[in-house]
Amino acid sequence: MTFPYKGYAGYYLDVDLTNGKVHKKEMEKDWARLYLGGSGVAAKILWDRTGPETDPLGPDNVLVAGTGPLTGSMFSPSGRFMFAAKGPLTGVWAESHVGGFMGPEIKYAGFDFIILNGRSKKPVYLFVKDGDAELRDASHLWGKETDVTTRMIREELRDPTVETAVIGPAGENGVLYGAIIVDFYRAAGRAGLGTVMGSKNVKAIAASGSLGIEVHDMEKYLEANDVEMERLNDPLWTESLASLRKYGTTDLVAIINEIGRLPTKNHWTGFYDDADDIGPETIREGYRIGQEACHGCAIGCKYIIRVTDSKYNTGPIGGPEYETLMAFGSNCLNSDVESVFYLGKRCDLLGMDTISCGKTIGFAMDLWEQGIITAQDTDGLDLGWGNAESQVALVEKIAKREGFGAILAEGVRKAAERIGGEAWKYAVHVKGLEASGQDPRAHQSIGLTYATNVRGADHLRSLSSLEELGYPSIVTDRFGKEKTDAILDIMSPEHKGELVWDMEDLYALVDSSVICKYGTMWPPVYYFDTFVNVIPHLTGMNEWGDPKFVRRAAERISHLRRAYNHRLGVTRKEETLPKRLLKDPMPTGPSKGGLPDLDIMLDDYYEFRGCDKETGYPYESKLKELGLEYVIEDLKARGMTR
Amino acid sequence: MKAEPLAESRLLKSILVIDLNKCTGCRNCELACSARHTNSFNPRRSRIQVLKKEDLNMVLPMVCLHCEVPLCEQACPNGALVYNEKGTLYVNSEVCIGCGNCVTACTYGGIEIDPVTRKAIKCDLCWGDPACVKACDYGAISMVEAKREGLVAREKGTEPVHQILNVEGEVQE
Repeated sequence: MTFPYKGYAGYYLDVDLTNGKVHKKEMEKDWARLYLGGSGVAAKILWDRTGPETDPLGPDNVLVAGTGPLTGSMFSPSGRFMFAAKGPLTGVWAESHVGGFMGPEIKYAGFDFIILNGRSKKPVYLFVKDGDAELRDASHLWGKETDVTTRMIREELRDPTVETAVIGPAGENGVLYGAIIVDFYRAAGRAGLGTVMGSKNVKAIAASGSLGIEVHDMEKYLEANDVEMERLNDPLWTESLASLRKYGTTDLVAIINEIGRLPTKNHWTGFYDDADDIGPETIREGYRIGQEACHGCAIGCKYIIRVTDSKYNTGPIGGPEYETLMAFGSNCLNSDVESVFYLGKRCDLLGMDTISCGKTIGFAMDLWEQGIITAQDTDGLDLGWGNAESQVALVEKIAKREGFGAILAEGVRKAAERIGGEAWKYAVHVKGLEASGQDPRAHQSIGLTYATNVRGADHLRSLSSLEELGYPSIVTDRFGKEKTDAILDIMSPEHKGELVWDMEDLYALVDSSVICKYGTMWPPVYYFDTFVNVIPHLTGMNEWGDPKFVRRAAERISHLRRAYNHRLGVTRKEETLPKRLLKDPMPTGPSKGGLPDLDIMLDDYYEFRGCDKETGYPYESKLKELGLEYVIEDLKARGMTR
Repeated sequence: MKAEPLAESRLLKSILVIDLNKCTGCRNCELACSARHTNSFNPRRSRIQVLKKEDLNMVLPMVCLHCEVPLCEQACPNGALVYNEKGTLYVNSEVCIGCGNCVTACTYGGIEIDPVTRKAIKCDLCWGDPACVKACDYGAISMVEAKREGLVAREKGTEPVHQILNVEGEVQE
């Protein structure tokens, strides 16, 4: 092997599904050095292999499954795995990350990346083990729900420790927000990557490995790792970490409702009167039976619930995250938390993103209230707000693409186009991705995050919790004293362009290394210096010991993903917000009257990003500085550089 | 089936105790163990193993119990299982021939064959400073003296296995 770096498995799999062949290849040195792993490397692969002509659900799309050097390397929290492709829901860059144990297992099985190309003639699943890989028949698994699929794979491989990433019926049936489910109840949920997998006739990836990961300098790496882990013990974070351990992410229902940012009634407002009913205490007292953690994680936000004596009875399952409680709960005015558990569970088993699914149902309920759709359109279902039974019926219909479900399976943007008339006014999305559980009318910088996020209206590429939770010392350290007050003012647009630019680059490394947002987003423990401290000892890439090199790598990843979208037609015009979040002042609650000053923030952001303010296109000088000459060459010919 | 009666061992000094209520199944202990013993991150080569069945909410960390009467030691044809000066039974890999008799003899799954070296591996308490104890962020693992209180705690950590194997525990509170 000539791949020189440790911390990586050192190989990737290029799978030719059309011909049923797997090709084991050595990792590219420059993938690691310049793009680190995960999202960064996936951006390079997708830039090279897909483009404007690619049909997201055609054999020409490419699904990348990836890990990073920190995955499975004892850095906490690093039990992550990621997927990327051209997105079927949005038509632009799509990536989705997931916790659990699958990412590390892929590496222990000998591979950093798995690239799925083409389309298999019949259903298959990929099994990787100790440096080998094979495509196995999955005809008997096709149509099965995700938990059954996982059990069947483990049984037929006669190994209960096999880790899996599987799709459910939704991904097979072409629901545009099909998810990939890992270890029963963890989801790479967003942007329809499960549907891309389904379009390739791939039911699952399974992995088992005993090869392990070598380290460049174990002693120094463990020392650096200890220093980073020690940062978790800073009293600044005690409260946040205690909350994550005690409530998981459910505490966000209470925290976010308090500042009037909890999407309620299809994003009409940001305050939900009945939030307590779907909130942390209700869940903890009534249903929580245990705490779990992803691989090597010191935070342990995952929790297990059980429901008895209810029509929504369930044995032990992973409890819903904040986003699921929001999407099916407050967003649909459904305060029956047991039904929300059930809806979340059904989405996991059917393999569907709970956010897009819940948000699309909320959108339909809004159209019902407005009189835009009636019982004739909904197969007779009453879509009055909070009707849990109709929600349950819709989830099943969507997964099967049956009746009205076939329209909602397209997500809010395409559903609004098909329904026509005024429906578009109630479709809350950016670039076609349904908004996650935030609202820029109560938190300015989220407006910019939603608008500029390469995959659409979602918090995970650049959300800042600094002003929300108030960390003055951190803000001063990162941005200087004179900017601190303005940044901490949650409703001021000032310096928010710089803030979001900085977060986007930080998360570019988080998503490439591949680690979790807990510890970087909330609470904001790790920063660029973390990567400077640990990556060189782990990998032997000495350049990563230079803070400037590390920042440049982060910027390179951010720019490459943006360039990917430019090539697909994204400009400043698409980096905007839906009418409801941009033009309709917050009607009720603590953030009443709030609206985002998007243009001010966008101007600021483009300046820091090195982009033209009018179009959002990158400056050639910036791309050159980042070593992205090949991007200049491509975009320039299309008139997409400045 | 009855387990061997408890007998104070004159050689055994320390044991590991696991608090099942605190374990979240993160498997950081496996990483730390493999780093210490194999200089790599490789859970399959770890001396401590966390068994999981997530759809049943079952998380079961398993590690050598450091028995008072070690069946593995008796089963070894080569005398590879010996006590070190810290009072811990360990595998002398120079002597081990990888026959797997110890694996068969152990009723608990506390000793395994390393998939790379093909020799027996089991917890040696890191010669007095267990890496897993330090690595457990939830405080679920501790090293205690092999006295009554510790043995009772060890018993608690093995209850699910006792149930599965239908073995009665010996130490009563």
